[in-house]
Order: sequence, then structure tokens, then C-alpha cells
Amino acid sequence: MRDWIKKWRKRIILALAIVGPGLITAFADNDAAGIATYSVAAATFGYQILIIILPITILLAVTQEIGARIAIVAEKGFADLIRERHGVRVAISMYGLLFFVNLAVVVQDVSGMKAALALFGLNPTIFLPAIIVALYLFVVIARYNMIERFLFVLIAFYVTYIASAWLANPNWQEAAGALILPKGPITPRFLYVAIAVLGTTVTAWGQFFINSYVKDKRLTTEHLKYNRAEIYTGAVLTNTLCFFIIVAVGATLFANRIAVTDAAQAALAIRPFAGDFAGLLFGMGLLGAGMLGCVVVALTTAYAFSEFFGYSGSLDENFRKSRLFYATLLVQLGVAMGIALMPGVSLFTITLIANFVNGMILPIIFYFLYQFANNATIMGSYVNNKVQNALLIGSALIITLASLVGVAGQLLGW
Amino acid sequence: MLYFSQLQGKRVATENRTRLGRLTDLVFLAATQPMVTKLVVDGGRNHRYIIPISYLKKINSKITVADGFGIESLSENELYIRKNILDQQIIDIKGNKVVRVNDVAIQDKIVSLAGALTLMIAGVDVGIIGILRWFGIDETFGRLFRLLGKTVTSRFLSWADIQPLALARGTVVLKKEEKKLSRLLPEDLADHLETMSIRNITRVLDLMEEKLAAEVIESLNVTYQQNLFKLFTPERAGKLIARMDPDEAVDILLTLTEKRRDAILKTVPPQKLLELSSLLSLAKTPIGGLITSEFFTASPEETALAIRRRIGRETGEFSALSYIFAINREGQLVGAANLHELLLAAADTPLYRFMTPSVVVLHLTTPVEIAIKRMLKYKIEALPVIDDKKNMLGLVTFDDLAESMLEKFV
Repeated sequence: MRDWIKKWRKRIILALAIVGPGLITAFADNDAAGIATYSVAAATFGYQILIIILPITILLAVTQEIGARIAIVAEKGFADLIRERHGVRVAISMYGLLFFVNLAVVVQDVSGMKAALALFGLNPTIFLPAIIVALYLFVVIARYNMIERFLFVLIAFYVTYIASAWLANPNWQEAAGALILPKGPITPRFLYVAIAVLGTTVTAWGQFFINSYVKDKRLTTEHLKYNRAEIYTGAVLTNTLCFFIIVAVGATLFANRIAVTDAAQAALAIRPFAGDFAGLLFGMGLLGAGMLGCVVVALTTAYAFSEFFGYSGSLDENFRKSRLFYATLLVQLGVAMGIALMPGVSLFTITLIANFVNGMILPIIFYFLYQFANNATIMGSYVNNKVQNALLIGSALIITLASLVGVAGQLLGW
Repeated sequence: MLYFSQLQGKRVATENRTRLGRLTDLVFLAATQPMVTKLVVDGGRNHRYIIPISYLKKINSKITVADGFGIESLSENELYIRKNILDQQIIDIKGNKVVRVNDVAIQDKIVSLAGALTLMIAGVDVGIIGILRWFGIDETFGRLFRLLGKTVTSRFLSWADIQPLALARGTVVLKKEEKKLSRLLPEDLADHLETMSIRNITRVLDLMEEKLAAEVIESLNVTYQQNLFKLFTPERAGKLIARMDPDEAVDILLTLTEKRRDAILKTVPPQKLLELSSLLSLAKTPIGGLITSEFFTASPEETALAIRRRIGRETGEFSALSYIFAINREGQLVGAANLHELLLAAADTPLYRFMTPSVVVLHLTTPVEIAIKRMLKYKIEALPVIDDKKNMLGLVTFDDLAESMLEKFV
């Protein structure tokens, strides 16, 4: 009996020790950029878009698990491995790509915060810089553990979406059915939006982030099992939320044929149908998601920079030692804020294009994942199994094909 | 100066223009002299040639190797530039990430009249220029900056700053430990080192410049010296020996087996060798029989007055007394003072304030001739003899030595 308690106590302590990377990355996938994309997608296609939720969940779970496993076994970040295995040229190109797609995501997150502030009647030109500066200082000063706890608090904001979906009083049966049964024709436009939804959930930055974050947390192979469980849980939870957001918007805006171009509009537009409170909840969720997203995605760029170029970079290190790490963070947040505060910038085009591009480049990320996770000198006995490989290759092919059709559709106006 | 970025991917062909493929990597010797030893050529379709550098003819827009070139596999101590150095993380001795290796600089030299080339790694490029070079835009960039009135130079780490041994483990580790270490006096360092294991001592010594390392080893006690020289490669031992005071060097060499000693001496430069072997030839007359137990010791804390009183009481029977030896609680010799110093010291000054902490000593194995040389060199008329644990065994005086020498001639 005592042994039994000891065993379980050890397990629980282990489990608690590893919680963080999986959940935070998964939830940050539903950042303000994500919510905006889901809103636009749901307002355009209604419940039809729900059909991609299950595949996305599986893909997110599997790719994140592979990434975390690489980080745990190799004790190296994704960017470390790209640089060491593929040289300067590939590393620079990947960093350039990552910098811009991440910047686009951070811009959306900061814009999401701006919109949320406006919803609450707070002047964004005053409050947005204040929040950004506060967030930045917090990340610089606080240690890893503190930052992680703060990110967990931000995750709690997401509950508001479940509430607002409920207030929208949707047809649950129909919504649940749409998860499995396709509800409409697959057009190039649908593929375009679907890739954008994919690209905001399974992200390039997500792959870099989970690696760096796991490495920073110094997990070891004895944590692998728990880490996997956490990642799978995170993937399911985050896509459940995604489901609720789509349902909330689909039940109200799509049902009444109201097109929206971003999340703030969705929050405003929901009010007449689901009540002021639902709109307010939606807005709060947006603020939290924006904060979580801009911290996590900008951190990813900073992690990647220090890994690609070998500079010291860790949340546990002080400002002086990790100067370039924190400088990259500042550049991303600063530029994003500058863009978001510019008057007359339409975020509608940015949102869909940026997230489409994020989805489109996933096959490149999968290529590296495949390479590293099957390399026995890196992974030892922890190489990928056949199912994981099949999923990586299969989804890379499908995404490439869908992206091509989506791009062609956009260009040719199909 | 060549850069690896400029060599990688170059076409490789033989003198009669048979194409072999492209250069993918270079093999080098992980040592203080990092000579490039082999070229790795990818001939496509899983054909990989590893060609010894001796077949290299010239490097221009393409690389030419001799017609009848041979191929070899890697030997021990050999590493790849691309696989083991390039793009790797550089960490300093404390484990801090510093930067990554962006490029590797290679010194090329024509060594014979026939035009044979040698390549040696000069260092690693860690600057932005090293990155730009991979895209072929380093010079454009440099020109652009000159137009703005600025010069950009690449940041460069010399090979001397890198630990070759760590490379095999996939990390580029710098030798730069806390600068403090090299600012310490060799004797202090030696005392500090004697608290460490032999393995750790060799690690610390590896970080030091040769000259400092030699000085530190001189100050170590004889057991450590002996063990260290058992570990060193003959080459390294030879270099250190050449840098040492010849008398000290002979002392150390005498503790080693004859085989080991000869191996080391083979690597010593000729001039130094002559000096050492003449001293070694004297080594047949150890000092053991000349030791007297007539010496005076005091604790380092004892005051000058107390010592003066004790000398009056205790040394009436002595035939001579020139020095006071400071012995700590473990019985180790930690300093010495001569009578003049004792007389000048104020009454309440403790011994450790006026003694000399670095004492010139002899071992039981030290030859008589070396003992005399040492006395003349340092102008000391009696030298203490200590054992491995620095315990003082006795004293050898100049007159006793001179007498024994005289007996030889008579």
C-alpha cells in the first residue's frame, strides 16, 4: 500500500513538473490571430468549417509531440538542429521566413488587443502601449516559473468562449454532426480559408516554441510519457475551444448572413443575437488571447534567433546575458504595435493571408521534423514510428495540394 | 587565407581533368597544430572519396588532385570541419553560450619547391561577415560600409582559444576561463591545484599558456609532477620540459622510467636536449648521504622574539645555523627566513610576515651536482630536502656538498 502511494505520488509530482509547454503552446494556437481567423471562417462558411477540426486536432497533437520529443531527447531546440544540420544558408532563410510570419501573427495579436480595448471603451493609443510595455518588462524581469504561471492565468480567459457560445443558443446537434459529416462543397475558397484555419492552429512558430520551451524547462526522457499526455490534452482542449468559437459565430453571424472581417467585429456583431454579455465575454477572451499570443509568438522569434546564431537566450537568464534575446522580443512587439496603431490599416487582408502563409509553410516544417525525428544519431531509440511518419508525409502532401488550389483560387478568382 | 565557405562545393578534378565531384568537407587533426589532412569529395550516387592532402595539387576555381590519388579512412584524432566545427555552438569554459561558428578560416602555405600545399585551421569566424560570406555578399557588404565611412572586420577566434578535445563531443569550448587564473602567481596556482585530482589539474593546465603551465608545474610537489608527466603525451611533456628551469626539469625526468624519459627527450629541441642530457648524466650521485638533521624549524605564527629566544635555548649544539624553516601543522615546509631577516623583524612580528614562501628545495633523488648549481644560482648556503608530501627530511649544506665533490677529485 505504501509503495502504491509512493509510486503515485512520484507520478503526480512528475506530471505536475512537466505541465506547461504542451498546454501553453496549444492554447496560444488560439491566440487573437486564431480567433480572428475562426471568426472570419465561421462567418463565411458557418458550421461547414467544423469538418477540419478533428484532422487539425490529430495533426497538432502528433506534430507537437514529435517536436517536444526531439527537444527532450536531443536537448536542442528546433532552430539549433536546423542550423547544425543544414548550415548557415538554410538557417538564415528559415529565420527570415519565421521572423516575418511570426511578426504577422504578433501584429494580429496586438491588433486583437487593440480591438478588445476599443470594445471596452478604453482608448487604445494610451492603453495598448501601456499593456505592451508592462508585458515586455514582465517577461524581462520575471523568471521562467513566474512567466509560466502568468501564461496559465491568460489561458483561463478562454473559458469566456464557452460561455459566449452557450449564450448564442446554437443547434448543438447540428454543430456536432458537422464535425464528422461534410456540410457543403469543397471549393478553392473553402480550401483557402481551411488552410488559414490550419495555419493558425498548427503553426510554424508552435513547432519552434514547443522545442525551445521544453528545452528551457529541462525535461528529460523520463518525462516523455507525461509530456505526451499533456500535449494530447492540450490539443484536444484547444480545439474544443476552437469548436466553441466557430459555433458562437456560426450560430449568430453565419445564420444571419453577416460577414465580419475580424474578431472585434465578430464580438460587436454577436451582441444583437446573443446579448451584450456574450459580446463582452468574447471581447475579454480576445484580450487574453492577444496577450498570450503576442508574448508566446514574439518569444518564439527570440528563441529562434538565439538558437540560430548561438547567442545566449533563456527566460531564466538576466537581461545583460541574454541581451539579443530580449532585443528580438522588443523589436517584434514594438513593430507590431507600430503597425497596429497606424490609422486606417485594414487587418482583414492581413489576417487571412498571414495565416494562410503560416499553413502553407507547414510542409517545410514537417520536412525538418521528419528528418530530425527519424535520425538515429539525434534520437537514438526515440525515433518516429510508422504512423507518425505516415501522418507527417500524408498531411504535408495534402496541405501542399490544398495550398496550391487555394492560391490558384485566390489568384484566378474561382 | 582561405575560408571553408569558399572551398565547400568547389569542383574536384584530377590533373588529367577527370571529374571526381564536389568538395563537401575537410578532415583535420584535432590538436594544437590543426593540420588539414584529408579532403572529402562527394562524387554523387553515394560515392564518397576521402583523399589525403598529400595528393592536393592546387586550389583555384576548382580543386586539382594528383592523378594516381589514393583514398584513406579517418584515423584517430581526426575530425571533420563541417560536421564537427561549422555551425556548432561555441560555449565558454563556464558553459555559457557565446555564439555559433559561422565559418572556418584556413591558412594555406606552399611548403616545398614542388608546390605541395599544406592547409591548417587558423581559427573560426564568428562575425556577421562570416554569415554573409556563405551568400557571397561579404565583399559587397564591406564596400557598402566603406562608402559610409566604416570598416567592418570579421570577428575571429584563434585556434589557440579553442579546446580541440571538446570538439569530438560536438561542442566548441573556449579555453577562456576566468581571467583570474592567469593573474595568480604560479606558486599560488600550484597550491590551489594540489587540492585537485590529477585529471582536473591537466584540464586547468591545458587552459594555460605553455610558459605559465611550465612555471606552475615547477611549483607542484614531486608526486604531482611525476603523475602529470605520466599522463602527458611525449610531445606535450617535451614542450613543457623545454620551457622549465633545466634543474627542475631534470628533477622531474629522474622520477620517470628510462623509457618514458627517452620518449620525452626525443621531442625536446636539440640545444635544450644537450643541456638536459649533460645534467642527467650527472644524476648518478644522489644526495641521500649528505643530509644533516641539524636544522631549526618554527611555526609560521611564532613571533620573531619567541624564535630568537628559542634559538638561544635550543641551538647551542649546532655547528651552524643560517635559516629558520617554517613548518605548518601538517609538517609541511611552507617558508624559510634567513638570520638577517629574523634580526630585522620587529619583536612581535610573526614568522609568516617576514619569511619567503617559495622555498628552493631538493629531493632525495636530486643529484649532488644539481644541488650545488641550485645553491650557487640562488645564493643559498643550505637547502632543505623534502619528500613527496612536502615534509622536511633534513638539510644539505654547501660545505658538506663541496667536501663530497672534493673527495671525488682527490
